[in-house]
Amino acid sequence: MIDFLILSILLSLLVASIMIVFSEDLSHSVITYMGFGLGSTLLYFLFSAPDVALTEAVIGAGISSTVYLVALLQTSVHES
Amino acid sequence: MNLKRTLRVETLLVALLVSVTTLVLMQILLNLHLAGHSLGDEILHINAASTQSANAVTSVVTYFRGLDTLGEVSILFLSIFGVALHMPRGSKNLFSYHNTLLYIGVSILFPLMLLFGVYVILHGHLSPGGGFQGGVIIAGAFLLRFLTYGDHYELKERVVSLSESLSGAGFIVLGLLGLLVGDRIFTQILPLGTLGELLSGGVIELIYIFVGLKVSAEISLLAEHFVKAHNV
Repeated sequence: MIDFLILSILLSLLVASIMIVFSEDLSHSVITYMGFGLGSTLLYFLFSAPDVALTEAVIGAGISSTVYLVALLQTSVHES
Repeated sequence: MNLKRTLRVETLLVALLVSVTTLVLMQILLNLHLAGHSLGDEILHINAASTQSANAVTSVVTYFRGLDTLGEVSILFLSIFGVALHMPRGSKNLFSYHNTLLYIGVSILFPLMLLFGVYVILHGHLSPGGGFQGGVIIAGAFLLRFLTYGDHYELKERVVSLSESLSGAGFIVLGLLGLLVGDRIFTQILPLGTLGELLSGGVIELIYIFVGLKVSAEISLLAEHFVKAHNV
């Protein structure tokens, strides 16, 4: 059961990372990156590292994606 | 996202390779059984006698490897220093639109996040978490406020810089006191208490309070500098 859960989270992380790289709108990439942080938080928790999960929840899903969002707003470069 | 236009055969091959590697690594990780006597067992063995801290990760971070934590904290300080130097804080918030849903959600969530951050810092030696984790949670609460309140909310510069510098100085003084009283830097200089109580673990609790104050001040300052940056 737990193996299946971990495997499905890993697969969704794979899909999310492919979406981050290949999406045409960069703001979609940032939002997907937040989802990626959430998934890796769950993964850290399942691998019994709750300390890292707490950090990843805030840094990965919150602060770093805000930094990317600010960079996007400041440069306003879009892929054509 | 248009997959049909951007995906080529090479990328598909790379994706296939990555997924196969991930599956193989997963298989290895799930079947891994570390045999024999390791360093982790040794640390768990001497942890209770030397620190009386229920969370062994905490005692590794602050007691056995206190000097490394000092290095981490100084790296964080340097990075915030660089951000503050390169991105002077403007008065205009980039996210200055009004969103009722976000406003109500943040006003409910903000005190809870502060409380949870303080709890994680104070119980660092008993439960998972500690100074860095709790400080980051507090900074995340302030980040939510920056995103919600727009131009109407700013940190009090003096309070933040005072708490940041005082906690950093207190952290280093605590380490040097260990050198003065004990035999090495960041050693135990306080009574240990009993395992599992809030007032136990000796110097670990104090170090984590200092680290939590410092990290929360630094990361909220970083968030404010990013959110209120001048237009380049």
